[in-house]
Amino acid sequence: MALEVAIEKEISDFRLAVAFSADGAPVGLLGPSGSGKTMALRAIAGLETPDHGRIALDGRVLYDSARRINVPARERRVGLLFQNYALFPHLTVAENISFGIRRIAPDERRQRVAEHLAAVHLSDLAERYPGTLSGGEQQRVALARALAIEPAALLLDEPFSALDTHLRGALERQLRETLGSYRGATIFVSHNLEEAYRVCEKLVVLSKGGVAAQGGKEEIFRHPPTIEVARVTGCKNFSAARRLADGRVEAVDWDCTLRAAQEFAQTPKHIAIRAHHVRIHPAGQAARDNSENVFPCWLAAMTETPFRVTLDLRIGAPPAGPADFHLQAEVFKQEWESFHDLPQPWAVELAADRVFLLPD
Amino acid sequence: MLSLKLAVSVAAILLAIGLPIAYWVTFSRWRLKFLVEAIVALPLVLPPTVLGYYLLVGLSPRHFAGRIWQAWFGHTLPFTFGGLLVGSVLYSLPFAVQPIAAGFDGVDRRLIEAAWTLGASRFSTFLRVILPLSAAGAVTGLVLSFAHTIGEFGVVLMVGGNIPGVTRTVSIDIYDQVQSANYDTADRTALVMLLFAFVVLAIVYGTNRRALALWRRT
Repeated sequence: MALEVAIEKEISDFRLAVAFSADGAPVGLLGPSGSGKTMALRAIAGLETPDHGRIALDGRVLYDSARRINVPARERRVGLLFQNYALFPHLTVAENISFGIRRIAPDERRQRVAEHLAAVHLSDLAERYPGTLSGGEQQRVALARALAIEPAALLLDEPFSALDTHLRGALERQLRETLGSYRGATIFVSHNLEEAYRVCEKLVVLSKGGVAAQGGKEEIFRHPPTIEVARVTGCKNFSAARRLADGRVEAVDWDCTLRAAQEFAQTPKHIAIRAHHVRIHPAGQAARDNSENVFPCWLAAMTETPFRVTLDLRIGAPPAGPADFHLQAEVFKQEWESFHDLPQPWAVELAADRVFLLPD
Repeated sequence: MLSLKLAVSVAAILLAIGLPIAYWVTFSRWRLKFLVEAIVALPLVLPPTVLGYYLLVGLSPRHFAGRIWQAWFGHTLPFTFGGLLVGSVLYSLPFAVQPIAAGFDGVDRRLIEAAWTLGASRFSTFLRVILPLSAAGAVTGLVLSFAHTIGEFGVVLMVGGNIPGVTRTVSIDIYDQVQSANYDTADRTALVMLLFAFVVLAIVYGTNRRALALWRRT
């Protein structure tokens, strides 16, 4: 049971060239907007024809440029959940769900619609029209409609992007539950890395039309293979790096020398750390100054969100202005309130098992 | 009565050929599509007498199309109801095709693609998604071509002539009445036409609004 994709397509000044595969576990297709996620998805569904390549689903060839095979979308049995759900406005919820299963006997059809409605907890809304439903309800109807045809693969195009933030949590739980009982290949397109991380086991990171990384999600987040992937997965702190004779790494842009726990065979060009891995120790513990990967730091600027603050920090000397900083640290408000009145410099720790090295 | 028969026939024929033409015009990706669109729109700009002239000449037995017609049906087209029908259909073509095409164009592409991914064929998608969602456009096209045919004058006169009971439509009748200074009769006929046109259009706009409201509610 697997989906294999290896396609190329060129449109004016954009070139998509991707190769990845998916089996039972949901695969997250992650990347900034314009990286080719949606186009890849449309190619799998048969709504877009690649220039070259091959797409196979459970051994069935859907597209093969060499053999001139291009199965039309209607025969692919690929369920697609559109970003805006694309429910038929002139049909009721039940009619929407039964749209793709008109050929089966009416009794069985009714039963299947009822089952799929129940699966997404919408049995009460069967006779309603999509326009009268909330965004979250529409999303679930669209999911039920896509699953009703018992697709061999399910493609989800940013299923939460059209929803208010407060609805996402519950819907995401429900989606994970639904996906848990679905056996076909699942591709989940998102530009929200946390969401993709929660829903998927494997990630494929797209960048400028190509695959920048793919593999298990933990590995990709812990040791991104390139700067680009580190950026896409949310990393904000990078410094040029130089390996020293004693095995430590000089972080050129941060005016400090670090020990990195990561085994790294290549010559590192950059060293990086995620903002929420940067630890700040209150001044009372500044005695730890001498310990490994801990440095005196000054605050250059601060940005607030409801529960967290982002601190722009300068290592080694007081900043000349708010734009003069080396690293960003993200800490919870509570923590911030415990040390923000204490005299600077504070001590910043870039833990050896949190920094990672990059070959480019 | 003749006008009514003509208009109903024209509207029916135009619905039948207007739907596929509009579908093609809306969804074809052919590079030279604009040429076809221009041809369909020609009657909007062309004086009816010019269209009528070409039909008259083209359908006469001295020309290819006319000869074919004569060979199949045993009579020539000009100055018959059939000739009138052909002329009127061509002349009203844009009035049917354009609103229908605008309706098709207004259907969200993603709904069409959704239907495909759910296994619907192009024809089934047309019947179950495109047509119901653009019904207002089809109704408008139907009524406009009907009304336009009722009010037609130039093409009818050129192709049909003025044969009572065969090709003399209301609009030509009025022209005749005025020519022979029968202002009373012309007056009455004109008033009937005016009221008729108004009622038809009022019905179109009234039902269209209700049709639109129905979709919006959903």
